[in-house]
Amino acid sequence: MRALAAQVRRNLSRRWRRAMVTTLGIALAAAMLSAALVLADSLGGGFDRAVRAAGLADVIVRFDPQSYSRVADRIRALPDIAGFATRLEVTDVDIHAGGHGFGHASAEVVGSGRRGYAIVAGRDVSGRFGEVVIERGLADAWGLDVGSTLLVRGLGPLRVVGLAEAPDDVGFPLGVPRLYISRAAIDARFGAEANPAVSVAELWLRDPRLLDQVLVQARTLSFGLHGVRVITRTGVRVLLDQAAGIVIDLLVALSVFALGTAGVILAASARAEVQRRLQELGVSRAVGASRGHLVAVQLTEAAVVALPGATLGLLAGWLITAGPTERLLTLLNEPPAGSGLILPLLGGWALSVLIPVLAVAVPSWSATGREPVALLRGAGLAGTAAAPGAGGGGPSRRRRRPGLALLGARLLGARRGRLVATVVTLGVSAGFVLLLLALASALSALQTDPGALGKRYQLTAALPATAAGRVRAIGGVAAAAPRYELEAADSYSLGETIDVIAYPGDHTEFEAPALLAGHRLHGAGETEVGAGLAAALGLSPGSVLAVALPSGAELRLRVAGIVSSLDHDGRVAYLPAAALLAGEPGAPEVLAVRLAAGADPGAVTRALSALGATPTPASGAVARGVPLVQTLRSILRAVAIVDGLVCLYALVQTGSLTLSERRRTVALLRAVGAGPAAVARLLAGVVLALVLPAAALGAVLERFVLGPALAHLAAGYATLELRAGPGQLAAVLAGLLAAGAIAVLATTRRATHESVVAGLAGA
Amino acid sequence: MVVLEARGIVKDVGRGRARRRVLDGAALRVEAGEVVAVLGRSGSGKSTLLHLLGGLDRPDAGAIVLAGEDLAAQGARALARMRLRHVGFVFQSFHLIEELSGRENVLLPARLPGAAPGGERRAGELIEELGLGPVAEHRPHELSGGEQQRFAIARALVNDPELVLADEPTGNLDAENATAVLGILSRLTRRAVVIVTHEPEAAAIAVRVLRLEAGQLVEAAAQRR
Repeated sequence: MRALAAQVRRNLSRRWRRAMVTTLGIALAAAMLSAALVLADSLGGGFDRAVRAAGLADVIVRFDPQSYSRVADRIRALPDIAGFATRLEVTDVDIHAGGHGFGHASAEVVGSGRRGYAIVAGRDVSGRFGEVVIERGLADAWGLDVGSTLLVRGLGPLRVVGLAEAPDDVGFPLGVPRLYISRAAIDARFGAEANPAVSVAELWLRDPRLLDQVLVQARTLSFGLHGVRVITRTGVRVLLDQAAGIVIDLLVALSVFALGTAGVILAASARAEVQRRLQELGVSRAVGASRGHLVAVQLTEAAVVALPGATLGLLAGWLITAGPTERLLTLLNEPPAGSGLILPLLGGWALSVLIPVLAVAVPSWSATGREPVALLRGAGLAGTAAAPGAGGGGPSRRRRRPGLALLGARLLGARRGRLVATVVTLGVSAGFVLLLLALASALSALQTDPGALGKRYQLTAALPATAAGRVRAIGGVAAAAPRYELEAADSYSLGETIDVIAYPGDHTEFEAPALLAGHRLHGAGETEVGAGLAAALGLSPGSVLAVALPSGAELRLRVAGIVSSLDHDGRVAYLPAAALLAGEPGAPEVLAVRLAAGADPGAVTRALSALGATPTPASGAVARGVPLVQTLRSILRAVAIVDGLVCLYALVQTGSLTLSERRRTVALLRAVGAGPAAVARLLAGVVLALVLPAAALGAVLERFVLGPALAHLAAGYATLELRAGPGQLAAVLAGLLAAGAIAVLATTRRATHESVVAGLAGA
Repeated sequence: MVVLEARGIVKDVGRGRARRRVLDGAALRVEAGEVVAVLGRSGSGKSTLLHLLGGLDRPDAGAIVLAGEDLAAQGARALARMRLRHVGFVFQSFHLIEELSGRENVLLPARLPGAAPGGERRAGELIEELGLGPVAEHRPHELSGGEQQRFAIARALVNDPELVLADEPTGNLDAENATAVLGILSRLTRRAVVIVTHEPEAAAIAVRVLRLEAGQLVEAAAQRR
């Protein structure tokens, strides 16, 4: 054992530079793996953790304020209810703290019993007046903590006694800020009411499998209650998971790819190292060293090199992603994974050590199994290189004059297996980077460009339908029509809310979301539904959509087509205004205004204002979701950086491996007069032979595999056009070339640093 | 005309306690058209001397003047340029690049940046002159040892250098091929040729034969070509 340790120490001290490079590669792969684990575990389990911590209700019902007794009586009449809680939700509350202010906060006046939120700092509100619990997102955004003071208009300054997370909605600033005040405290200050008003009921079921039956009963019993909106725990999960699911799947795919990359490179590196040491192994075998001892030395060396790399990489990956992940979780009102991450990270660490050790084990075992004589002759490992002149046989045909770069490419081509593996690795990597760029620009377009959502109107004006003629007469207005929009529910599954949009005529003149299936609606009995709604309710062209309107009326419409829409997560239905107004005569309306080409929006806005309207520009889908987009971007950026580093490592390592194996060739070139520039050209040939096909492969992969796959993945949420543009292709090619240039510089420096004589001797 | 002059060359090899002096004040002067053989036992420093003369390595002390330039004063780039323009190397183990045909191997130095023009033509002439035309497009593994060494000689001559340095050029060849290769080296007119060898047959083609003893070059014999 002591002899083994001493030999490993001697070997590593002789080859410490090479060991450092291998450690770096392992660290990069481990960082990628760790980043993916942190994100996947944190986001994947975030909702369940939040539900457990908060005790989220199975069903949350919102309605216009009603007396507590009226609501409680109806809930008690429902079957399978394990418990319930009510509260009054007061919207548009004006709050101020620490120089910040918000005029549309939501104040939840909570009663006793279950609350449906988790206290993550401090404590819950008591019956004393002057206390408030605020959601963590608000605290983070405004720099508040337990003990801070929040000024609530109408209640005065309140002391923050706790921070909460309620997973039934996204947090501030993605959603409106929420604060929780005790009803007992309000009663103590303003006097108790015998039958206070409530507007939210949270229901916990004994058997969640009976949810549908409970919802049907609830709908029957809710007769007389107005503005009823129901959301189930499953509905909340679907909404949140769809947003995070894209990122998680992307990262899991990236981590698998990074692991594969590291595996290929480390295996090639291990093979080259064993090949280089065949003679040494032969001598050791000849003087009596056992095969087991020699393999044990190699494995111990590999483990010693891998351990620090895996540890540092895992820590780095965790550090890079932990911050953005926690921010994203805060936005989603979900707690961080905490100690739950330890086990997956330990698994990742073990994998990061095991793969490089196995990569060494196989060629070592294979090499040491040979006869010592064969080892002393330096016989190659099976399959290490293409046979000289392979594919030809007999005299080679006259070839084009070989420049140095072409010679470099041919030297690389001698190891065809590695060439293919590295090109595939780089190509997949380039494909992923292209995908990230395409995704980032798709997010930007959705955020800022209403046209990307199929919206063809630029302004809406709060004017009655009768004003449409006057608006059309304004210079620069191409079209104007009433637009009706309200929130309804699916009659069969009350947990699914639907954003109903209606126009009196052809809606595609104002909103033309891409048609994914079926045809545009014709006639009063037809509807076009968003892909998100179709996925949630299993709709297809020809199905019947039953819509429960707020008035209690029900509309039954045949689905004419499925459209792409990001609004309300694709849970939208376009229908003719006549059908909507028949069931809901008081549906909210605005005028949608489409501008003529080249019209001045400012002039039209002024003219609309003169008519007494306050025009509002049409917005992108995620106008309120800017923080989410920013957080997703920072995660994508972190992944892209690690991905880029993996590319750089692959290029440098392949260049180094080629250089190691072709020391004599490089030394010969230098002996016959090649200076550093000529060596750099040779190595540039090596790198270009990798980069150019990899860039082409990456573009093809992104265009035909990764882009469509991710778009398909996101189809339930939104339809994303994920095609990298020429600029993005150029950027990735430039990035690969830049990485290649760094690889060329690094390897050229190494190549020209070595003594020509030593290189010729191949020592 | 003096092509190469070396004075007081000192060179130590190895490190620490293994360090030893292999050249200790060696001196040499070679003129154009002259073939000089350096003999010595294994480990005497013959190859080290050749590497120093060709600018592949640097002496610890002394001066090596090639084409009027002191090699010891040159930087790495300038040394590479000197090797490209003024030196041709012939190695015992040929050092042909396996991925290239014989012709491409010959052309390799001619296509380096800074090489003298006309390399393509000279390569063609050399290949024909050395009888390699029929196998010019063969890869090294398809050639005999003698053919490989003749390609290596053609490569050494393709940039028309004033100095040819041959390190055991017949060490890996049978008697017939060795004779052919020595014949080629002996016919190199206008150039200075230095051959290091331990084979007396190789020394037979030299005008002057020097022996490397105790780190110094001593005249062994004078012969007529």
